Amino acid sequence: MILDLHTHSDASEDSRAPVETYMKWLVRKRDVLPIDGIVLTEHRQWDPHADYRHLEDKYGMLILRGAEVETDYGHVLVYGVNDDITRHFDFTDVRLPAQELIPAVARMGGLAVPCHPGRPTIGLCEHYAHKPPIAGVVAVEALNGGSRRGENERVQELIAHYGYHAVGGSDSHLVSFIGICATQFADEIRSVEDLVIALERGRYQPVDFRERLKKEA
Amino acid sequence: MALDFDRSIIGSEFDRTVFAPVTKDAIQEYAAASGEPGANEVTAPPTFVVRLRGHRWMPENMPNLGRVGFDAGKDIEFGVPVRVGDVLTAVSTVHDIYEKTGRTGSMVFVVLRTVVTNQREDEVAVIDQKMMFR
Repeated sequence: MILDLHTHSDASEDSRAPVETYMKWLVRKRDVLPIDGIVLTEHRQWDPHADYRHLEDKYGMLILRGAEVETDYGHVLVYGVNDDITRHFDFTDVRLPAQELIPAVARMGGLAVPCHPGRPTIGLCEHYAHKPPIAGVVAVEALNGGSRRGENERVQELIAHYGYHAVGGSDSHLVSFIGICATQFADEIRSVEDLVIALERGRYQPVDFRERLKKEA
Repeated sequence: MALDFDRSIIGSEFDRTVFAPVTKDAIQEYAAASGEPGANEVTAPPTFVVRLRGHRWMPENMPNLGRVGFDAGKDIEFGVPVRVGDVLTAVSTVHDIYEKTGRTGSMVFVVLRTVVTNQREDEVAVIDQKMMFR
């Protein structure tokens, strides 16, 4: 199944995309964007009460939730967010210690994935040039729909060197960007717990639908 | 450590301005300048509210957030239309202050919210003005 693991809705301060409009867009574009679900990774926040089950039922699509937090090694996607994690880490803090966060999230039942590693300042590649590698990294976002030229390419070297698994996500802030990049899993995923297990197992690969969208246009 | 400032400033009102009644001339001047006509000559275009200037546009006790600041855009939620003769009141508060990091480093955003109402206390607009500091 194919999930877009990195998306922002209007709950993030820099996005204007309602979740339901994402759903409508994906249903309309199903022929070129065979996405089975999305993971909302809002910036620096976690709302324990957000519930999109009615939209899952209405549109027949999986809607999971995570968060994008900011660390001293760049931005990190956190999946399987729970009370333990939010008690230990203040998601509004833009200098969270990644060396502490990534193993701690795993111990608490989640999984943290550094995103857009090739991006200046907020990507892992730049930080690895002058700091030790982070213990416990399982996967990095090798394909990010918001990356500029060369930023995704930088990540291949990182993956080859450290043996990380690779995921993809659109990093969508606008409706028409949803699903342009995603992750194809060999495993069936029905919940965020399934997602964490699948990410740990490593049976997945990033998929890029941008060329298909261009041809369709 | 999260951004360090006195959070009591969030939600605090720093300006309340009552404007003179809206005139037909003011609406026409705005429509001509913006190229955005209203529904008719006594109804202002929705964005008319951006011409309102309160007494103060920033709180006096604003924390020191950086040396450089610039306009980071505004969001406007429109309510009832503005008509000739309306007496508008604008109340401004500090809605949010948050930090984020991007390709060029860390930035602090301040969101100043201005709620504009008319003489019937109907909401005319909610304007979120963002400023970025670094």
